[in-house]
Amino acid sequence: MHGQNRHHTEPLTEAAQVKALKAGDAVAWRDLLSRYGPSLLNYASSLLGDRGAAEEILQDSLVNIYRTIDRFEGRCSLKSWLYRGVHNRAIDEIRRRKRYVEVSADGLEDYFNEQGHWKHDCPGWDGLAAKQLDEKRVLSVVRQEMDRLPHMHREVLLMKDVEGLKTSEICAALEISAGNLRIRIHRARVALRTALSITLSVPLRAAVVG
Amino acid sequence: MMYLQCAKVVDKISDIMDGHASILVRMRFHGHLLLCKNCRRYYDQLRTVRTLSGQVKSVDLLTELPDDFGQVMDFVMAEIEPEIEPEKGEKDA
Repeated sequence: MHGQNRHHTEPLTEAAQVKALKAGDAVAWRDLLSRYGPSLLNYASSLLGDRGAAEEILQDSLVNIYRTIDRFEGRCSLKSWLYRGVHNRAIDEIRRRKRYVEVSADGLEDYFNEQGHWKHDCPGWDGLAAKQLDEKRVLSVVRQEMDRLPHMHREVLLMKDVEGLKTSEICAALEISAGNLRIRIHRARVALRTALSITLSVPLRAAVVG
Repeated sequence: MMYLQCAKVVDKISDIMDGHASILVRMRFHGHLLLCKNCRRYYDQLRTVRTLSGQVKSVDLLTELPDDFGQVMDFVMAEIEPEIEPEKGEKDA
């Protein structure tokens, strides 16, 4: 890779940006890190549940991305490629720490009888404790419960609902099909709902929106 | 309209919320919700979950990110910049 420094006055197209990155353009690299770095750090931190480890993972990943940028062939977006790099490195770390947890059944089958009807009434979130919680507290509980989800649930929830990646971007980053992603996202939300139902017997909507 | 079981309705909620369901499925889904208090409640709860998980981002980024990210940026650029040759003008300066 041959380094260059150019001064960009207008945003580059993705193709031009990739070309500049491959040419070792320092401005392009700074732009890239500024644009995606915060989200990638947020993602790694949420996935690992450890901000310090996430910083190290992100540093390693970005340096590795710099050294392997020549291998980027444009089969997916640059954003997906970056997420894939950070994601794979974070999953390696989770496995290394033996925190890897296979996705368990979501338990929904316990809710329904053989005819597919509810066995019992779906419990509401309108308990008395609701009135004592403010928005910040509710979001803090949501964050805690997200951190406790198995990583296969957490990673899709983070990419989809928290980071706002498109379906195609997530599929490319995780190398999974759209159908698989839809199942994972649903199970993740169901798991988070179950966790929140146990922790909070509160009218969350009222607490957040009201 | 064909009857939908509650278990099937609950399975389709994320597809409905994310716009992945056909018009026919959406009609049957919402038709079921009109008649089923439990599915309606579950649907509302999953919508709330999605809203809440989306709001986690702004809280974290606004209150925690800037300092941490500055350090990460400095490290990464310190690692890669020595490999990037400066422009002729900068070298001469």
